[in-house]
Parts: sequence; structure tokens; C-alpha cells
Amino acid sequence: MFTPQRIRDPLHNLIEFRPDEFENAMWSVIQTRPFQRLRRIKQLGFSDLVYPGATHSRFAHSVGVFHTARLLMKVVKEHLGSQYRNSRAELALAAALVHDLGHGPFSHAFEYVGKRLKLKMAKHESVSDALIRNSEVAVALNTLGSGFANDVANIIGNSGPTNIYGAVVSSQFDADRLDYMQRDRLMSGTQHGMIDFKWLIANLKVGTVNTGVDEKSLGSIDTFVLGPKAIYAAETYVLGLFQLYPTVYFHKTTRGAEKIFTELLCRVIQLIQDGKIASTGLAITHPIAKFSMAADSIENVLSLDDTVMWGAIPQMAEATDKAISNLATRLRDRNLYKSLNVRERIVSLVESVAENDRDLIVEKACISVREKIAAWLSEKNADTPRILTDETERSPYKKFDESKGLLNQIRIQTESGQLVDLNERSKVVRAIDPFRVFRVYMADEDLEAKAFLEKTIKEEAPNVTNSPK
Amino acid sequence: MSQTAQNKRPIEKAADIIRDAGGKIVGRTRLQKIACLMELAGVGYGFSFEYHHYGPYSEELTHAIRDAYLIGLLNEEECSASWGGTYSVYTTDVASVLPPSSPQKILVQLAVDADPIELELAITAAFLGSQGEGNPWQETENRKSEKARDGRLERAKHLYEKFRAVNSPIPLPPLE
Repeated sequence: MFTPQRIRDPLHNLIEFRPDEFENAMWSVIQTRPFQRLRRIKQLGFSDLVYPGATHSRFAHSVGVFHTARLLMKVVKEHLGSQYRNSRAELALAAALVHDLGHGPFSHAFEYVGKRLKLKMAKHESVSDALIRNSEVAVALNTLGSGFANDVANIIGNSGPTNIYGAVVSSQFDADRLDYMQRDRLMSGTQHGMIDFKWLIANLKVGTVNTGVDEKSLGSIDTFVLGPKAIYAAETYVLGLFQLYPTVYFHKTTRGAEKIFTELLCRVIQLIQDGKIASTGLAITHPIAKFSMAADSIENVLSLDDTVMWGAIPQMAEATDKAISNLATRLRDRNLYKSLNVRERIVSLVESVAENDRDLIVEKACISVREKIAAWLSEKNADTPRILTDETERSPYKKFDESKGLLNQIRIQTESGQLVDLNERSKVVRAIDPFRVFRVYMADEDLEAKAFLEKTIKEEAPNVTNSPK
Repeated sequence: MSQTAQNKRPIEKAADIIRDAGGKIVGRTRLQKIACLMELAGVGYGFSFEYHHYGPYSEELTHAIRDAYLIGLLNEEECSASWGGTYSVYTTDVASVLPPSSPQKILVQLAVDADPIELELAITAAFLGSQGEGNPWQETENRKSEKARDGRLERAKHLYEKFRAVNSPIPLPPLE
């Protein structure tokens, strides 16, 4: 006998779990320790330092993704008719629910720490895979059949959707993106990035698109496409993402806090690994200390979340290691490094250059400034870098290339039934330039670093103006 | 990595990969996999790789290639594939300084001539093996089931054996 379950959600309102074997198993997955841990991992990391309302958790997002995945699966069911396979659909829906299970504290910043220190279990894909295959999550999933958990892990670990069921978990219109774009907008309070969710879903169809690797064709695959009446909704969707990058995801203060956290955690882990835990302010039994000493242990990874990190900040603020104490105090008091937008500063210095040449000049100057900063940091050799660099690039939409994959392709079905790339149908989308960031952060009182940056930027911008390509 | 290579900037190292490949590499996937193969065999330029959706991937290399293009160290042309997608062709006029018989040159040439899907499978398995994966071919098949079909996984294994036969500074290990 199964019991119906209900969750109230700020985005989707009522999310119901039906009293059947599958949804009962999903409810059991939610009750596990790894899933409950997601309540203590915020979806947007440090974004609440900018948008106080953006404290929503990966728990709420994951449940929302499951709910959205069920809506998408209805589209699949309608399309496939008698060919629809419930067993395949259930695997994809379960994958949607557990896709974020492996995220660590402050997700992306923690992953960056892992990348720098080569810690495999700081990578959320590795942790998700281990938890889905070998934890109480696997036990809950395998009530639906032995091997169910492994099949779910394979869907998440696969290099992309292999069929239309997989497109629910990973495609341009996957449940993850459809949930987070709306949820992050709602919870942050930003008025940018609105999407026409109901119209998108109502116009979602299944189409067959070709795929390949480099110049070589690989065949075709069924994925989501949009009907002809959804072209403006598709534009809004792409523009929405384009607006969320600068305003929310890559906000200078959020990124500045992530940079401080990254340097703090890297220094703490390295000192602990070097046997200098006494200088970090942490006890040997602290979850961060345990993780530092055995970073491959899934138990140690599971013990980390945002609250553990915030709880450790006051202790680290008392550390005898000055770098740790300084960085922890800054995070605690939101006294972050000041940012300087190198790219924008260079753009302002080359405004007189003809527009056609300007982009190239700016790019060249950015490269030169970056190299000068690296040389300066190497010369200063401080415990933690005195200048923190934030460089990234995002293309909200790009015509298909394999390195980006089907994840980034939107196909519009024309009135005649042909599938064309959104890029070919929309001048607006075609005109969007990638969002590029090149900022640096430094302590407000570090006048030497500030002077060096100002001088370098001024020197490098005119230099490249005069140099031939 | 040689001392000379160590002192080079990432953009120069990225351009050197194109140069080592005879001045032309077709496709971003092929470029990434060639660079990864070079690292695994001990003839690389120090780019670090991690597992991405499409197998081993170096973000650092992606940035270096883009910057190398911007300052004119190499050319990148975007072409349309017959299957409807796009792919990049990287070229440089600078000649390779490697003797044709060097392990580096032989390995890279094998990869340049390989089918990109089979190359992706072979290098993914090699990379997974280097990360401690117990059964890298099986894992590659699990993760890339569509690409592994139609005999491609078998041909990828054969390709990997060709790489192994090259006398590289770090011998590529057997994978099963």
C-alpha cells in the first residue's frame, strides 16, 4: 500500500507524488541522507550576498526538476504513443531527481578547489555517480529492480542524450535548465531572464536531428524541438539566459566571494595535508579536516555542506595562519576584495579605435594584461595571491558544434515540417555576442597591487593598438 | 615536457600542437584528444585534462587556442559538416621542428589520420585508465554507447594498440 505525498514549492506550487511503486521509491530516495544533505547546499552558492532572497537549496531545485521532468515526459508519451516505454521513462525521471546529488558546498567554488588540488571527489559528477551506485540511494532505487540504480547512473554519466527519454535529463530543454532558470529568477528577485514556460512546454515536440563528431556524421537522434509558434518564446529563452549570466550567475560580488572562498579552502586543505592543522583554527575532528586528510572518502564528502563551511568560518577567523584568518574574516563580514573590470577598462581606453578593429585590440590587450599579472604574482610569491583573476566566457546560444553538443541546440519546426536551427530563424539570437568577463580582485588597502594594475592596463591597451596582427 | 616547452606560454604551446600535427588539425574534438594523447605518452606540453561529457577535455587548451588565434599564431576556420553541424579547422604555416621518426611526430600523425569518433573512444579509454578506472573499455562503452556501436569500439581498441606500439617516453599501458 503506497501513500500519496505532497510538497509545496515556491515555483511550481503543489508537487505531488502519486501512491504507486515508482513515485513511492522516489519519495524514499528523497528521505535518504545524501538527498537530505541537499537542503544544506544552496543552489546559487554566495549569490545571497547580492540577492538576499537567493537562499534556495539544491533540494528544492532537485524536486522541481523531477516535477518538470514529468511534464516533459508527457510530451514524449504523446509523441511515442504505443511505442512509449514506461521503464525507460522511469529511469530518466529518477535521473532527473538525483542529478545534483554530488554537489559540494558552494558547488562551483568547491569544484574549483578540487580541480586545483586534484581532488577527484570534489567533482560533483564523480560524487553523484558513487552515491547513486553505492549508497542508501542505490538501495531505494533498486527496489524498482536490481540494476535500476546503475542504469540511472549511466544516464547521468553518459556523454549526452542517447534517446528521447534522455533528452528530458539533458538537452536544450531539459528539466534542469527549465527549473533553474525560473527558480533562480524568482528567488533572487531579479526581473531579468523571464521565460514563457507554459508556452514552451505547450509547443514542445519531438524531432529527429543529425549528430556527428567534427566532420564525421554519427547518425541521428530524437530530441526536443519547438513548433513554429514558439519562435519568440525560444528567443526569450535564449535572451533570458543571456541576461542571467551578468546579473546573477557572474555577478562581480558573488564571484568575488567565490574567489575568496576558493583561496581560503585551498590554503586550509594544503596546510592540513602538510600536517599544520594547528595553524588553521580547525580541530582534527572537523569535517573539513577529515576531508582534507582523506578526500577520496565518500563519507567525508557527505559530511560537507554550506552550513559546515559557514560554521567553520569563525574558527578559521581565529587561525594563527594570517592568510586563513584574513580570508575567513573577510567572508564572515562580507568585506570582500574590490573588483576591477579589466575588459571594460580596456574597452574604454580604445574607444577611439575603429569599431571593426576594436574587438581584436581588446582581446590582445586582455591577453597581455593577463600575462603581466601572472608574472607579477609569481614575483611576489605571497601565501595567497594578492590579485585574484576571474575570467570566463559563456555563449547563450551557438549553432551546433559537437564540442557543445545537443545541449546547446534549439531546432524550430517550420510550417512545412522542416527543422531549422534557431540561429537561422532569429536575427536577435544571431546578434548575441558571447558574454565575456575579465575581472580582477584585490584588497582595498593593497595600493601596490592597485597601482600595478592601473599602470599595466594603461600600458597594454595602447601597445596593442600599435602592433600589427 | 622539455625545458624549452616548459618556458613557453600556453598560447605558444597550443600553436605547437597544430605545428606538430603537420600544420593542420580538423575538429575541436580531434585537437583535444591529440593533446591528451600527447600528455599521456609523455610528449605533451603540460595541459591538464579532466573528464567532460565528450571525454578528456582541457579548458586551459581551449582558452590557449582561442588566444593563439586572436594574436595570429594560428588560423581557425569554421566549416559546415555534411551532417549539418559545424567544425573548426586549425592551421599554421610554421613548420614542425620534430624529426619524422620522433615518437611525438608518429603518435600525432596517427591521431591526425584517425577517425575522430574512434579517436575519441580510444583516448577516453586511455584517460579513464590513467585515472584508475578498472575496466576502461567497458566504462567507455557505458558512457558513449551510441559512439561505441557499429564496430567503432573494436576499431578504437585497434587504434590504441597502434599508439602503444610507438616508443613513447611514457609507454601507454595495456587497457585490458
